[in-house]
Amino acid sequence: MEEENRELNPENGSGFTKQHQEEEEDHKVVKFLDSADSYLDLFDSLSSTLRQGWLELATARQSMGASRINRALFDLKYHNAATSLQVIQDDVKQPNFTLCKWVSTNNQNCSTEEAKFDEDELFEKNSTNAQLRYRGTSEIQEKSPESIGSKLTVVDQIQKERSKSLSMFGTLVSPKLRCAQISFETALDTLIEMANMRSSLLSAYDQVHKDMASTKG
Amino acid sequence: MYGFEALTFNIHGGYLEAIVRGYRSGLLTAADYNNLCQCETLDDIKMHLTATEYGPYLQNEPSPLHTTTIVEKCTLKLVDEYKHMLCQATEPLSTFLEYITYGHMIDNVVLIVTGTLHERDVQELLEKCHPLGMFDSIATLAVAQNMRELYRLVLVDTPLAPYFSECITSEDLDDMNIEIMRNTLYKAYLEDFYQFCQKLGGATAEIMSDLLAFEADRRAVNISINSIGTELTRDDRKKLYSNFGLLYPYGHEELAVCEDMDQVRGVMEKYPPYQPIFAKLSYGESQMLDKAFYEEEVKRLCLAFEQQFHYAVFFAYMRLKEQEIRNLMWVSECVAQNQKSRVHDSVVFIF
Repeated sequence: MEEENRELNPENGSGFTKQHQEEEEDHKVVKFLDSADSYLDLFDSLSSTLRQGWLELATARQSMGASRINRALFDLKYHNAATSLQVIQDDVKQPNFTLCKWVSTNNQNCSTEEAKFDEDELFEKNSTNAQLRYRGTSEIQEKSPESIGSKLTVVDQIQKERSKSLSMFGTLVSPKLRCAQISFETALDTLIEMANMRSSLLSAYDQVHKDMASTKG
Repeated sequence: MYGFEALTFNIHGGYLEAIVRGYRSGLLTAADYNNLCQCETLDDIKMHLTATEYGPYLQNEPSPLHTTTIVEKCTLKLVDEYKHMLCQATEPLSTFLEYITYGHMIDNVVLIVTGTLHERDVQELLEKCHPLGMFDSIATLAVAQNMRELYRLVLVDTPLAPYFSECITSEDLDDMNIEIMRNTLYKAYLEDFYQFCQKLGGATAEIMSDLLAFEADRRAVNISINSIGTELTRDDRKKLYSNFGLLYPYGHEELAVCEDMDQVRGVMEKYPPYQPIFAKLSYGESQMLDKAFYEEEVKRLCLAFEQQFHYAVFFAYMRLKEQEIRNLMWVSECVAQNQKSRVHDSVVFIF
């Protein structure tokens, strides 16, 4: 293939351009396949995390009793969602999804409805910390302030919010219920990663498809 | 005085002791659990249970089954057996049998109050209540805004009234208050039951003291572990421990200041009856603690049947039946979630 290119245009750059083009096409196909592989890995990871979460919930029910963990205790009072999803669409073809955990009512992007919150001070602190959004625990370390004291404050706040979410089942809950909560939180993070990966996958597929169409044309 | 129960017990209690020993022989064996653990679907579980004493309660249930249906029907059997014993019992056995249900009554009260706080429909909450803990005015709980109203409007006419003296406030009910109310009520109930058994004397007092002391100690451990990392202060935590049991008072002092599982282990390992329980756990682990406690409880409950002419057999039977229902719930959940490899994590064999 390379010899053919040199015979056609031995001295100018068009042979090199064609080679470069082919390399780019190969790169796009590899990117597509990588995205597909990552997507399937995330799918497996999500499946196993959810299985673990459901089993931990059943274990917590076994420990605390069926009267303490059942859907009749879900809180139907109006309250803001502890977690919301932001869709950033800089590129129309590849939207980016970000999870906003324990967000402030001041953050209009994440909450457009009015709500009364007793912990305004807590959430004002959160909103000044460069919008506390993260995908998984690794980003907590990236986004949180450098000083150890501030890091501990963020972790404490997160713990408080987690306990608040669980309070519908009571204040003194089994550690197994807390483990189930962590598992479902991890599953949510994985879902967002899957959404981003799928977005990347579809974008890579479009590019490959376009290249194939232009090659045939 | 000990030993003379044989002369008079059978006059009033002989029939019911025979009945409860008959019920005991109907509890599921290890062979039954092995069959259940090999089931692929909930319908298979239903088929196996139809061949046991649960048969009449499950055979007409339509498919597809749900785990809650299996638990409800099995609980119905327990309720029928209890009611049969209660209607045949004379004093003081009838009061003893009623004491066994006060724990469920407390759970039902807390369920209704919590559900109402969360704006749930009262009818839906009543369906979730344990049938052994029902009383006439339970639906009226939904109108109370604070504990004082709860007591004045509803609970003053129930057996739980004496247990409310320590937790009556005019503060509005919220999640923390309700949790403290639950544990304070249960503490008062256990202490009252303990005193009642002491008054009965004889083998009943001896065996029930051991069983209730174990219950109080287990509750103290669970409260300590569950309150780690919460806003419950050390003093408030200590107030929730019962004033009897092997851990009272020095174990309670140490448990009140524990900040993690290893510290709890350190406290409990000083007490020889609890050393084997914590020896089964690895450091930092609390996952298998419940199963270890249930196994110890089942061992003690089975020993109650080794003696005659006492009321502890009734308490032991009710608790063993509840353990059996917990086992069935766990097996059903594992089968429904296709997690059969984990089925032995929480099943406690009785025989």
